[in-house]
Amino acid sequence: MASNSTTRPLPGREPLAREFVTRHQKARIVNALAEEASRRGYKAVSVADVVRRAGISRSTFYDNFSSKEECFLAAQDFAMSAALERVVDAAGEIEEWPERVAAGLAGFLRYVVDEPALARTCMVEALAGGPASVQYYEESLQAFVSLFKVGRDVSPYGEELPETLEEAIIGGVFWILYQRLLLGEVDRIEELLPELVEFALTPYLGSGAARQVAVASINKLAS
Amino acid sequence: MARLPPGRHGLPREFVAHNQRERLIAGLAEAVAEHGYAGTTIAHITRQAAVSRRTFYEHFSSKDDCFVAAYDTVMAELRRRVGEAFDQEEEWPQAIRAGIAAMLGFLSAEPHLARLSMVEALVAGPVVVERYDAAIQGLVPYFSAGREGRPAEVLEGLSPTTEEALVGGMVSLISRRIFADRSEELPALLPDLVEFTLTPYLGSAEAAKVARQSDAAQG
Repeated sequence: MASNSTTRPLPGREPLAREFVTRHQKARIVNALAEEASRRGYKAVSVADVVRRAGISRSTFYDNFSSKEECFLAAQDFAMSAALERVVDAAGEIEEWPERVAAGLAGFLRYVVDEPALARTCMVEALAGGPASVQYYEESLQAFVSLFKVGRDVSPYGEELPETLEEAIIGGVFWILYQRLLLGEVDRIEELLPELVEFALTPYLGSGAARQVAVASINKLAS
Repeated sequence: MARLPPGRHGLPREFVAHNQRERLIAGLAEAVAEHGYAGTTIAHITRQAAVSRRTFYEHFSSKDDCFVAAYDTVMAELRRRVGEAFDQEEEWPQAIRAGIAAMLGFLSAEPHLARLSMVEALVAGPVVVERYDAAIQGLVPYFSAGREGRPAEVLEGLSPTTEEALVGGMVSLISRRIFADRSEELPALLPDLVEFTLTPYLGSAEAAKVARQSDAAQG
């Protein structure tokens, strides 16, 4: 995210995403909005809530954003970009597509665990955020779709797979994660990795081969 | 779609004129379709329903209260139709196909109610969001039923969350069409959704066969 913030970075050994957040004023504000929205729903959050949580003045908020809606869009963008970056970082180097999917999913789950409020913002609250948010959500899903679509080249069912398959897989993964976030089971989200890997790969590889990759993904996680 | 009752069975029409409460619920559906949930006022609702403001407050304590009633009414109807379609089939794969067809048929025939139940429900706040989640999770047992009688190697390939993921994927495909005001495209999703949801149980080839059958059956 572009930012010309002058806030000084905090020293210490916080995770990367946190460090980024504290370094940039805009990012700190969007993070505050995400926290508030995940507590009580986007609709109920006021600029005053965001200002209080971010520890800034009201005028600082309005220096950065014209409205709660604009701030929310920025939060969504921040979260989606960060999540996608994790996926690409985790998956990028791996040659085989099924293993690449497993690694990418692992990266995504890690992001959800590290940043549950932001993850919730881009997966859940986005749909309640108004037309611009929904539009953004749709566009950002396409990035995930194209990562999956590569699987058609290695799938024996290749051309026959339903056109909407990738959309459905991503929708399914998001739904499962959303349910766990709702139930407050953030700690257990990474345990879902093999199930989600198998779910995502089965249509491309068949159940047996998908399961093998899923099992191997647990071992990688453990190591 | 052979399994759906013929003709247009618009819920709003069924509601109308029976009593004030139902008129108010129908009025809310119309008002929300026009103004969105956030933009809807009680005056919009009472105007659509042609009742007084006082009558509104005899039935509902707030706009939220009225929305929840409308949501419950729509979902009860949707559940009824899906359940009936499912129960009419002997074989599980065909029952799934019939249930999905019924859902797509209802939502495409009633774009206002589709929007109310799948889009505005998310905007309306925590009370409805809980109901929305429960409604979607309520579809899980239809799919879990497909585990029955499957060979061990298939069951091994299913995880505790398979059905949730299938339902989530299906709903996301449907919701996104409704969000984009493209409800009329919903029936065309039938073969894709059938294949997607049956693949874990039947394998890709067999699932595709059932999906294509459904295409042919629709003519």
